[in-house]
Amino acid sequence: MNLQLVFDALSLGGIYATAALGVALIFGVMKLVNFAQGQFLAFCVFALIIPSKDAVAVMGLGAAPAYVLIPMVLLIGVGLAVLSELLVFRHLRDAEPVSLMVASFALGIVIQNLLLMTYGGRPKAVSLWPNLGKPVDFLGAEVPLLQIIVIFTIVLMLILLSVGLKFTRIGLEMRAAAENFGMARLLGVRANRVIMMAFAISGVLAAMLALIFVAQTGVADVRMGSSIVLIAFVATVLGGMGSLPGAVLAGLLLGAVSTLLQAYLPVELRPFRDAFLYGLVIVVLLVRPQGLFTLSSVSNRI
Amino acid sequence: MSKIAVHDLVVSFGKLMALREVSFLVEEGDLVFIAGPNGAGKSSLLRSIAGEIQPRKGRIEIDGTIVTGAGPEVIARMGVSMVPEGRRVFSTLTIEENLMLGTGMRRDKAAIAADLEEIYTTFPILKERRTTSAGALSGGQQQMLVIGRAIMTNPKIVLVDEPSLGLAPKVVDEVYNQLCALRKERGLTLVIVEQSTSRAARVGGKLILLNNGEITRQGRVEDFADDDLISGAYFGMESGE
Repeated sequence: MNLQLVFDALSLGGIYATAALGVALIFGVMKLVNFAQGQFLAFCVFALIIPSKDAVAVMGLGAAPAYVLIPMVLLIGVGLAVLSELLVFRHLRDAEPVSLMVASFALGIVIQNLLLMTYGGRPKAVSLWPNLGKPVDFLGAEVPLLQIIVIFTIVLMLILLSVGLKFTRIGLEMRAAAENFGMARLLGVRANRVIMMAFAISGVLAAMLALIFVAQTGVADVRMGSSIVLIAFVATVLGGMGSLPGAVLAGLLLGAVSTLLQAYLPVELRPFRDAFLYGLVIVVLLVRPQGLFTLSSVSNRI
Repeated sequence: MSKIAVHDLVVSFGKLMALREVSFLVEEGDLVFIAGPNGAGKSSLLRSIAGEIQPRKGRIEIDGTIVTGAGPEVIARMGVSMVPEGRRVFSTLTIEENLMLGTGMRRDKAAIAADLEEIYTTFPILKERRTTSAGALSGGQQQMLVIGRAIMTNPKIVLVDEPSLGLAPKVVDEVYNQLCALRKERGLTLVIVEQSTSRAARVGGKLILLNNGEITRQGRVEDFADDDLISGAYFGMESGE
């Protein structure tokens, strides 16, 4: 197997894993499948551009140096996610999971239309850090620098998140809340704090993906994020709803399988790659309906 | 001022009435048993006090403060700790993480460490396996863990829902020994739900008999006629009256 393929699989898998984490984190603490996550991403993308309906995007924040741009975009992602919790989801705390999901759809469409009103519907060409597209020599393979940075960033994020979840008080509370929110509250764990934190982290993840997508594709489109959130949802189900390691592993797996299918399917079948990918998903779910990485002790809860 | 005061509490799930105007008082340091058959509303009563269930009507006071409608974390922070039915350990957390989870509201670091040491002394098995997943413990060990976990919140009131459920009689004895020891040592107010009255007959304290969502009788255990308690291993309407 060539090294390029490994990098492709890792970066796509990492992107899926990141998106799946954002979904799983919030599902874990409040049983909400947040489909608006995709529009959080799109919002962060458009935050880079000066509002206008022109076909050519003029960078606003996007023209700032990286050390300003990156924290600002992350902050915007956090702000939007936290705001949606405060304005929408907090008031639906006792609602059925299905109602919550519908609310997240609705919120996503509202955000998408706000973007449409401000920026118009046509995809815009955006140039963010074009130098990162250059291939560099890495372990004897020609790999785009961007891909290395993406993989490195995601690995760093996973390490930071794991350490945070393992060794901080809020991390402990989040893990407990994901397993049994009711019991955690009986022990004095504050629901609002934990849920707010889950939204904040999911906002960071959405902003990260926004930057990765723009840098990779060079396009800003109000629809971007919609398809990744679907894959993220599939990955969380595949990983076992509510299991964070499960979501990450399933995300990686989906990305890797998708990359392999793209590389090894007969050329005439490649356009239908997703049919094979999702066919495999169905097979996996038939064999393990509780998800790939669920502990039996946790599965009865969901 | 009573430690817990419940006034005309009504709890319903849809059309099903779980509690119909239940009133009682618990004084500081009391040991109170709430007993009654399946579906009598015992758990609903305990969970209402803990803030897990919002009552339809009525009022709950803790230390004279009205807490009706407050969330469980608010009530936990007032010094009320619940040991729920079925134990509910966090099986994805280690034993020590389970114990430490409830200390988030405490600021007394030294006292937290001392409490942890005390629990480890009382239940050496927990110390031995402190870094292993709590899911690997046996039922009896899990019961000790959740009692320890409740104590780690430094509570004034501990609510225990059917501690004997699914445990061997010998283990139940040990659980009760520990509960009573902790109560004495820390001056806890202890409210225990059990299906049968046999444990209350042995341990003493106050007894509240609940049936069909209503209190059929309450008083000190010794004031209940002996035959009541013996026949009351499984309470019907008659034996409570």
